[in-house]
Amino acid sequence: MLDLLRSGIKQAESLGANDVEVYAAVSKESEVFIENNDIKQAKSQITGSIGVRVIVDGSIGFYSTNDLSKARVREAVVMSIRLAKASPKDKHNILPGKSKPKAIHGIYDRNAESFQTSDAARMAAEMLKSATSYDNRVSVDSGNFSAQVVTHALANSNGIELKEKASVFSWSIMGMAIENTEISSFDYQVGSSHSIKDINVNNTASEFAETVVKSLHTRKLEENFKGEMLLTPMAANEMIEEVLGHSINSDAVQKKSSHFAGKIGKQVASDLLTVEDDATNVEGINASSFDREGVSHRRNIVIENGILKKFLYNTYTAKKEGTRSTGNAGGSTSSPPTVSTTNFIIKPMRSSLDTLVAEIEKGVIISRFSGNVNPVNGDFSGVVKGGQMVTNGTVEHAIKEVMVAGNVFEALRRLNGISRERKVIYDSILPYMRFDGISFTTG
Amino acid sequence: MMQNGEQIADTLRLLISSSQSATYVEARYQSRVTSEVNFINGEVERIRVVENTGCGIRVLVDGCWGFTSTTNFSSENLKESLNEAISAARVIAETKKNRVKGLVESKILRGVFRTASNSDNLSDISIEQKIQVTREAEKEARSNRLIKTASCTYRDTVDHKVIINSDGADIKIYDSKPEFSVTAIARKASNSATAHEGIGITGGWNDLFKKKNHLEYARTASTRAAKLLEARHVDGRKTKVILDPAMVGLLSHEAIGHTVEADFVLSGSVAKDKIGTKVASDIVTLVDSGRSEIADNAGGTIIVDDEGVAAERIAIIEKGVLKSFLHNRESAMIFGTSSTGNARAFNYNDEPLIRMRNTYIEPGLDKLDEMVKETKHGYLIKGARNGQADANGEFMFGAEEVYFIENGEVKELLRGASISGNAFEVLKSVDMVGNEFQYDIGTGYCGKYQPAKVDGGGPHIRCEAIIGGLQH
Repeated sequence: MLDLLRSGIKQAESLGANDVEVYAAVSKESEVFIENNDIKQAKSQITGSIGVRVIVDGSIGFYSTNDLSKARVREAVVMSIRLAKASPKDKHNILPGKSKPKAIHGIYDRNAESFQTSDAARMAAEMLKSATSYDNRVSVDSGNFSAQVVTHALANSNGIELKEKASVFSWSIMGMAIENTEISSFDYQVGSSHSIKDINVNNTASEFAETVVKSLHTRKLEENFKGEMLLTPMAANEMIEEVLGHSINSDAVQKKSSHFAGKIGKQVASDLLTVEDDATNVEGINASSFDREGVSHRRNIVIENGILKKFLYNTYTAKKEGTRSTGNAGGSTSSPPTVSTTNFIIKPMRSSLDTLVAEIEKGVIISRFSGNVNPVNGDFSGVVKGGQMVTNGTVEHAIKEVMVAGNVFEALRRLNGISRERKVIYDSILPYMRFDGISFTTG
Repeated sequence: MMQNGEQIADTLRLLISSSQSATYVEARYQSRVTSEVNFINGEVERIRVVENTGCGIRVLVDGCWGFTSTTNFSSENLKESLNEAISAARVIAETKKNRVKGLVESKILRGVFRTASNSDNLSDISIEQKIQVTREAEKEARSNRLIKTASCTYRDTVDHKVIINSDGADIKIYDSKPEFSVTAIARKASNSATAHEGIGITGGWNDLFKKKNHLEYARTASTRAAKLLEARHVDGRKTKVILDPAMVGLLSHEAIGHTVEADFVLSGSVAKDKIGTKVASDIVTLVDSGRSEIADNAGGTIIVDDEGVAAERIAIIEKGVLKSFLHNRESAMIFGTSSTGNARAFNYNDEPLIRMRNTYIEPGLDKLDEMVKETKHGYLIKGARNGQADANGEFMFGAEEVYFIENGEVKELLRGASISGNAFEVLKSVDMVGNEFQYDIGTGYCGKYQPAKVDGGGPHIRCEAIIGGLQH
């Protein structure tokens, strides 16, 4: 594959490009789908694509194709140069220089090569059985099990030539519990691993089943109130992560849409909060040794004990500020690099989940948050899914039609509990998080 | 790889006719070119062209589905891919409990289809022109001094598809779907407000800017963001609301449409036992159609679905009574009805799923000003944001603008908030349906394992829902 990349670079240079980058990804995938409490379909395919980025006199051109023939890659090079000539100049457009990323162990399981579609089908069936045998009221709407071996290769005209293989197994399950005419809130659980031995569909299935069954027999809130909110990792992913991920992104900072702009070194959250972005943590599915433009991945502590430490950069945004890339160039072959988080991680604390619940005087446990979150100003408002009312430390009953609204940045200052238990949600590793002073409204 | 359409059709016909061991075989060739231009704060954020061409092969063997895809169109390779799809189907035979009984007999189409009369002229518009329009609009949005961040995106997708299946489909489709949107963020000290204005259609370049030119979209977004900056938040409560066409589209799609997708119904959605029952007020007729009914250039227009079935108008709710679910051929067989032409795949390497197309409420008789005049206390809700619906009919979506209505007059503009309720209860509460129709959610994509370009709309409607604002 590197040969193909090299030939693309040579050709672009001969056509007048000052800098060239060619990124390719080839993936072999087996996937089995679940629908309506049954296996639905098996899929097996190999896909590949390539993205060519050229810089001509300070302007960028980008063209992507899923045809990896030499002839088509040549065509993509010609097209990207044409696009560069039509694009405005930007003096910050540069490509990174050569570096030597440290290989990451634990992202590629050799046995994944022989993992068959039939194995994926077996896993999907096991997950389904595990969920439906938990309780006969559980109904699985959909789900999947996917096994993938991806090879990434990247070369640029500064001499970077990198190639890495990763295996990713991922699965999801979604549905509800049904009792007579009552249908519970929807729940959605996921799991993932890089190696076959870490596949655990049963945990995911029973967590899903337990949540939907607990969501039955709902009652409405007696009155609107202000109290504590305990987010599961999935709800934290839906409500908190997007806002934080946006705010720590140097691109958002430079575009003045980050609430954290100008706040490095300042307290932005309760001192319980420590956030890191770490592509070297192999628990997350985005673990890899280099980023979308070939810069080495590393562990970046972004918020430490509530204090904002740094933003995440790719080469372009770093150049703009005269700093160095943090290894956060993201994106696929079909788009020029963006700035993005890799594995988003919130540090666990000592309290157990049980303790966090026991300490609640009056509040709500939120399994999922279905609503809108504004990543710029942090406002959120939406419906509580799989909500449980907690009074004096005791989980009382499931609740329905409850709206929750507030502001993520204000809430982070009122963060008063983080669990030691955490969950991996693909590329996020999150604990349970508890906040006080949150408004709940009944419908 | 951009094969001549007739040549690829011939190869696929041969492939389909050669397959003996499957009950059903479908080959879908799709060549897609996506162009995108995005400017933010005067700088290029992204200019890219992406091409994706391949062939998806789906088979039904002994009541089990198998799927594979390839980008190599030689007869030998396609044959090999077909065999791989057959093996994949056999793999699940051991674990699948209920085999697919079959695919319902349907009116399978043959021929050449263009989703809009001039749907292929986008390829004639140069990238330079797309860049210019986007750049100018983004700049225009920042001409308002309160706007600190602006973004403008132009995107188009041009598709050429060939669908051949063993039940007689022999189809060529030419489709083009451009979209254009502007986002403006106004800011004063730590206070900020965001506004979006955009359009997404099925059609060509001129259709895209038929209603408003690119600069008008920018001005609308920036003016609104500036106004919202000064606005107060709404208090949470259940109340009378008048929803604009975009919000009606979102309600129809998210809150009703998903609950009547047959795959979802089979897993126990709230609409399960409700065919023939009253689920909405008498004045509500809610439709999903693959054609652009009532108004032109609806963004979810497909004419024919990916199983080769005509994507015709289907009344989901007619005069308040639930009439139909949305089907592909497999689900229609289970329900003993006809396919409604809702089988859609996004890319060549995606399998067709039951998806919506253009989902809307039909216009009624009321004029908007009368609807306002007859509202003593309530809100006019505008600007649909993303939303979600649950299996039990509960939904929630965001509104960008909320206007307070008091004693029949539109008063103060309030900050955006979320709207929620139970979909069917909300539809039962509809007491006025406007007479002016519009599609207005065409910039959105619907996600269900894969994206789908959909649209929705309606007239203004008056109903009851919960407005959730911030409580301080």
